[in-house]
Amino acid sequence: MGSSSSSLNNVPDGQQLMQETGFSAAHLLRLYERFKFLDKDNRGHLRSEDFEAVPELSENPIGDRIVGAFFLPGQETVDFSSFVRVLAHFRPTEKNRTRAGAQPEPANSRNRKLKFAFRLYDRDRDGKISRTELLQVLREMLGMQVTEEQLQSIADRAIQEADLDKDDAISFDEFRKSLEKVNIDHKMSIRFLE
Amino acid sequence: MFWRRAAHGRVGFRRSLPELGLLLLATLVLLEGSVLPLGAASSPETGITPGAGVSHGHADKNHSETKHKKPFPVLGLNYDSVKTPFEISLWVLLASLMKLGFHLLPRVSSIVPESCLLIVVGLLVGGGIKLIREEVPPVLDTKLFFYCLLPPIILDAGYFLPIRPFMENLGTILMFAVVGTLWNAFFVGGFLFAVCQIPHASLSHIGLLPCLLFGSIISAVDPVAVLAVFEEIHINELLHILVFGESLLNDAVTVVLYHLFEEFSEAGTVTVLDGFLGVISFLVVALGGVLVGAFYGFVAALTSRFTYHIRVIEPLFVFVYSYMAYLSAEVFHLSGIMALIACGAVMRPYVEANISHKSHTTIKYFLKMWSSVSETLIFIFLGVATVEGPHQWNWVFVTATVILCLVSRVIGVVGLTFVINKFRMVNLTTKDQFIIAYGGLRGAIAFSLGFLLDIEHFKDMREIFLTAIITVVFFTVFVQGMTIKPLVELLAVKKKQEAKRSINEEIHTQFLDHLLTGIEDICGHYGHHHWKDKLNRFNKKYVKGFLIAGERSKEPQLIAFYHKLEMKQAIQLVESGGGSKLPSAMPSTVSMQNIQPKNQPPPPKPTERALPQLTKGREEEIRKILRSNLQRTRQRLHSYNRHTLVADPDEEGFQDIILKKQKMMELDRKIKEMANYLSVPSHPKDSPTMSRARLASGRNTDFIPAQQQKGNKKSPGM
Repeated sequence: MGSSSSSLNNVPDGQQLMQETGFSAAHLLRLYERFKFLDKDNRGHLRSEDFEAVPELSENPIGDRIVGAFFLPGQETVDFSSFVRVLAHFRPTEKNRTRAGAQPEPANSRNRKLKFAFRLYDRDRDGKISRTELLQVLREMLGMQVTEEQLQSIADRAIQEADLDKDDAISFDEFRKSLEKVNIDHKMSIRFLE
Repeated sequence: MFWRRAAHGRVGFRRSLPELGLLLLATLVLLEGSVLPLGAASSPETGITPGAGVSHGHADKNHSETKHKKPFPVLGLNYDSVKTPFEISLWVLLASLMKLGFHLLPRVSSIVPESCLLIVVGLLVGGGIKLIREEVPPVLDTKLFFYCLLPPIILDAGYFLPIRPFMENLGTILMFAVVGTLWNAFFVGGFLFAVCQIPHASLSHIGLLPCLLFGSIISAVDPVAVLAVFEEIHINELLHILVFGESLLNDAVTVVLYHLFEEFSEAGTVTVLDGFLGVISFLVVALGGVLVGAFYGFVAALTSRFTYHIRVIEPLFVFVYSYMAYLSAEVFHLSGIMALIACGAVMRPYVEANISHKSHTTIKYFLKMWSSVSETLIFIFLGVATVEGPHQWNWVFVTATVILCLVSRVIGVVGLTFVINKFRMVNLTTKDQFIIAYGGLRGAIAFSLGFLLDIEHFKDMREIFLTAIITVVFFTVFVQGMTIKPLVELLAVKKKQEAKRSINEEIHTQFLDHLLTGIEDICGHYGHHHWKDKLNRFNKKYVKGFLIAGERSKEPQLIAFYHKLEMKQAIQLVESGGGSKLPSAMPSTVSMQNIQPKNQPPPPKPTERALPQLTKGREEEIRKILRSNLQRTRQRLHSYNRHTLVADPDEEGFQDIILKKQKMMELDRKIKEMANYLSVPSHPKDSPTMSRARLASGRNTDFIPAQQQKGNKKSPGM
C-alpha cells in the first residue's frame, strides 16, 4: 500500500483518523478530496457558507440542522477531522468486529448513530426532546402545508406514545425504545463510506 | 346445515365433527357423481329453462298438442343448461366448506398446513368421482387456471405488497429470481439428460432440449405454494419478502425459458444467436410486463380521481384494470404476473387517497376472498388432477428429479448468497439461507405449464414429465411444507413483529431519510437516498397533483399516516361500545370522560356523558376554531355520504369522536391558560393529563394538591 500511504500523508492526521474512525485509506482520501472541493476558498476549514453551497441541501427540510451538526458547539469552522468524525457515524456497522473492553465505542455503532440523530432533534442539548423541539422538527418537515392544530395533534400523539416517564419530553432512552423495530444499522448507513 | 346433520351423529357434537366432515364430503362427491349421469338421462328437450320445468312444460305442451296430450308436467328436470355454472358453484362451495372445516379442527391444521389438507381433500374427491363414474372431469384446465384462478392471488399479493422492504431488497430478490432460476433450470435439465442416458432407464428417447424444457418448468418457485405455507409460519419480514419476491419475479424467467425451449424443441437445434435473442426476450418480457402494468395502474389511479360521485363502483375499477393489465400482458407473451404486480403496486397509493373508506374495505375483503377461494380451489384441483393422470411412473426419472431439485436449490442459494453478501449491508446468515432454500416450493404453476405441453410433440414424454412434476410438487408441499414450521421454531428464526407502526417510527424514519439524503449530498455521493428523495419530490410535485383528487393531493405523507391512525383508533373506539365505555388503553381519549369546564355544574354521572356540557357561546367559539381545522377530515367523511348509501351510524360516531377530541384539545389549551392564574402552582411541568385530571374531581374545579389527585385521576394505560 505504498502509493496510498504516500498520498495519505497529505491528509492532516491521516493515520490517526483512520484508526479512530475505521475508514480505509482510500475512503479517507476520497473524503479529503470532497472536503477540498467544498472548501472553495482553500482555507483548510469549512464555514457554513461552504455547506450551503451544496445545491440539494437547501431543498432539504432539515438541511440547516445537518449542517449545524458538523460544527462543534461554539465553533464557527469545521476542520477535516471534525468532518470525518461526523461522517464516521454513517459507516455501515461491522457485525463481527471484536472490541476490547477498554476501547471506546466505535462511531458507527448503533448507539452512537442514534445519539447523533437524537442530538439533531435536541438542539439545546438538555438530553430531552421537548414538545417545542418536536414541534419545530415537524414544522420543518411538513412545511406550510399543515395547520398549527394538526402539528399539535401529531406532537401530542407522538409524545404520548413514546413518553414513558410522563415528563412531556422524549429522553434518549425513550427515543431509542421507539425505534427498536427500525433497523438503524441499515437505515443510517451509507455504503459509499464502507 | 351442520346442526341438522348433527342429529345423525350418535354421540355429542365434538365427536361428530370428523364424521360431519366425511359425511359432507361423501355427500358432495355423490352429488357430483350422481347428478351428472342423471343430467344425461334427463329430458332431451332443449328448452332454455333456468329453473324448474314450467316454461319447459309449456313448450312440451305446444309440441304435444298435435299428438295426444300428456299430463302437464308439474316438475321437470333439466340439468344440462345449468350444468357448468352448477358444477363451478359446487366446487367453490366445496372449497369454502373445507376451509371452514379446517378451522373447526384446530389441532390438525396446526400440524399440517392447509395446502396439504386441501390436496388430500382433492385426492379424496377425485378418488370418489373415479369410483362412481370411472373417469374424472379435467378440472385443472390450463385456461381456467391461468385466467381465473391465478390472477386473484397475484393481485392480492401485488396490491398489498410491502413496497419499502421490497425495494430495499430488490437487488437480492432479482438475483435469486433470475440467476437462481436459470441455474436451477440448466442444472436440473442438464443432469436429467445425463440420467436419461443411463441404458436401463428406458428414458433414452428424451432429448436434451425436452430435458431443459422440463428443467425450466420445474425450477420456478411457486408464489401460490409459498404464500400458502409462509403465511402460517410468520417469519420475519425480510425472509418473507425475499422468498415471496423471488417467486413473483421468476415468472418472467419461466415464461422466456419455457417459450424458448418449446420453440427449439420443435426446431431441434440452438444457436448462439438464439441464446442472445433469448436474453433480449427476457428483458422485453420483464420490462414490458412491468410497463404494461404501470400503465394500467396510472390509468386506474386517474379514473379513481373522478369517482367521487359514484362510490359504489370504485372497487370494480381496481379489479378490472388489474385484470386487463394481466390479459394485455398475456396477449404479447409478456409476463402477466409482473404486469399484475406492477399495476397493483403503482395504483395503490393514489387510489387509496381517492376512494372512500368503504371502497377500501371492499377492495381488501374482495381480494382476500377471491384469493383465498382461488388458492383453495387450486390445491383441491391439484389433488383431483393427480388422480386423473395421465401418469407414467418411471422410478429413475422421478427420483432423479426430486433429488436434483433439492440439490440445485441448495447450491444455488448458497452460491448466490456468497456473492450477494458482498453487496448487502445486512448480510444473510446461514439460518436465512437455509430458510430461503427450504422455502423454495413448487406448485400448481409448474403443473399447469406441464399440462400445456403439446401432446403431439412430446408424445411419450408428457406423461413422464407430468408424473415427475406432481411428485416434486407433492414432495415440496407435503414434506417441506409440514416440516418448515417446526424447523423455524427449532432454528429460532426471527419471527414477524406483530405491532403496527407507531407515529414515532414514522416521524423518525422520515427524519432519518432527510438526514441521510443530506449527508449523501454533503459527501457528493448520489446514492440510494438521493434517488429516492428525487423520486419522492417528483411524485409530490407532478404525479400526485395529477392523480389525486382535490385537497388530498397536497397532503403530506405524515399527515395521511396520522389521519389513518386516528381513524383506526376512532373506529376501534366506536366498535368497542360507543363513546361511553372508553378502553383505558387509549390515553388521548380517556380524559374525555373527566373533562369538566370550569363554570358548569357537574353532570349526574360522568361515565354516561361522553360530551361535556358547554354554554352556547363557548360552543360557538369552539366550533369556529374547529371548522377550519376539521375541513380536511370532513371532506373525506362527506365523500361517501353523498348518495344512495345510507348514512352509517359508525361514520357519525367517528365524526363525533373527532369533534370531541378537538374540543378537548381546545379546552385543554384554555385550561392551561387558566392554570397561569392559579395562586399556587402545583408542579413545575404540568402534563395535559394532570391538568385534565385536576378538573376531574367533579365536586369543584379548584386546585387540588397532587396527593389527593392520585385517587381521582384516571391515568392512561400506557
